[in-house]
Amino acid sequence: MNLIRDCLDKQIDDRVKRRMGRVDGIILEVEPGRPPRVAYIELGVKTLMNRVSSRLGNAITHEPYRIPWGKIKVGLNEVRADVEAEKTPALEWELWLRKKVIGRIPGA
Amino acid sequence: MKKILEIALGIVTSVGGFLEIGSIATAAQAGADFSFQLIWAIALGGLCIIFLVEQAGRFSAVSGRTIPDAIRERFGFSYFAFLYIVLALVSLLVLAAEIGGVCIALELATGIHFQWWTVPAGFLIWLVMWKGTFGVIEKGVSVLGLVTLCFVIGAYLIHPPEAQVLRGVLPSLPQHDKAHYWFVAVSILGASISPYLFFFYSSGAIEDEWNEGHIGVNRIIATGGMTFGSVISISVLILAAMIFAPQGVKFEHYSQLPDLLVPVFGYWGYWLLVASVGIACLGAALEITLEIAYFTAQGFGWNWSENQRPRDEARFAAAYTLTIIIAALITITGIDPLKITIFSMALTAATLPVSIVPFLFLMNDYSYVRVYRNGWFSNAVVIAIISLAFVLAVVSIPLQIFGGG
Repeated sequence: MNLIRDCLDKQIDDRVKRRMGRVDGIILEVEPGRPPRVAYIELGVKTLMNRVSSRLGNAITHEPYRIPWGKIKVGLNEVRADVEAEKTPALEWELWLRKKVIGRIPGA
Repeated sequence: MKKILEIALGIVTSVGGFLEIGSIATAAQAGADFSFQLIWAIALGGLCIIFLVEQAGRFSAVSGRTIPDAIRERFGFSYFAFLYIVLALVSLLVLAAEIGGVCIALELATGIHFQWWTVPAGFLIWLVMWKGTFGVIEKGVSVLGLVTLCFVIGAYLIHPPEAQVLRGVLPSLPQHDKAHYWFVAVSILGASISPYLFFFYSSGAIEDEWNEGHIGVNRIIATGGMTFGSVISISVLILAAMIFAPQGVKFEHYSQLPDLLVPVFGYWGYWLLVASVGIACLGAALEITLEIAYFTAQGFGWNWSENQRPRDEARFAAAYTLTIIIAALITITGIDPLKITIFSMALTAATLPVSIVPFLFLMNDYSYVRVYRNGWFSNAVVIAIISLAFVLAVVSIPLQIFGGG
């Protein structure tokens, strides 16, 4: 697998195929004398901003959400995470907006 | 029979997307200032958009992805973010112009100044988004948009000189006001080759669950719809050339629009014009609003679909709500909607390369489009459109300064 081509920036669905974001970053662990190992994928604005400029990344205080690589399955066209999206910080904003704003408007 | 109905509705929908305040305003300006001489610009813009829309539809039907999806995947976040910011700024301005168009139609209908209509028009757009499904927006508003065929009937009934109309299809150099001529030409191209059109079309293919079986349908809809849309724009130009140009009248305000149809249809011409402008702008406003929300949600991997309840995709619903509010705030300032329209069309032209360059790569990527990749001819056309887009990007701002007046 080519990590950049097949995993980075791909859509992530949770175990019930709910869209939960994109693979914003990939974390490798490097130990002396051993080949690098993929440890996590990251989702979050801080990770995205870091990719544009480290100064922008540092300005964001909210830490990104990490999913251990063991819970990730990289398919031909999508990335599947063995988690329940609504119980993770990935949908924090979605749930907040639903509860506090959108869900309160009649007809939502 | 089902396929024929699908094609017919698709063509009508494409017309609805093509004809908006930008194409009406730029065509009217071209006809008033340069008679039939700028028909070629509408024809050229129409030809370019046929190819881009066909490719956007083919891409989504085969890959199951939208163009913004693939841009994020293939070009990475930095390019996506750049394109997103550019496109969002330009689209917000175009949306403000479309909301302005709806308000102008309401002003013409009621006599109440357009600024007062901004909030009701914005609310109407939001309400259709909130309650409606993709089908309602795509087909309902577009079918109503058939009223714009009155421009074609008007252009036929006014008996334009055929030889001059045909001569206008071929590009020619201006005899006077050179900078203004090229500025109007660039604005027409900006109004025709609208990125929101092909990005929206690509999302629509996913909403309508297109697959490889729709490739033929897609080709007919893209060609038929965009040709039909171009014919309506050319009709507006012909009417302006026959009515404004001989009297030396400049098209400087939207209140002059009824003059295009009243000489042909009399009293009903006024109301046909009000309905045409109102419905065409409402349709375009809905499509642009949806496109900005789609682009945001797809780029960041959120849940998106106009067919879901707002609470099930709160960020998507928040994105279109915020989009409408920002655009309405631009309109409510009272800046002349015609000025916003003309400026936003030139700005669209200036930003075209960032939207079109990805096509060349995506339409040749086997992992997305497999055997349906572009052939040498389609690639040559895309390269030609990209070259044209670069020329437009370079000249549009200087022309805005020297020929925009």
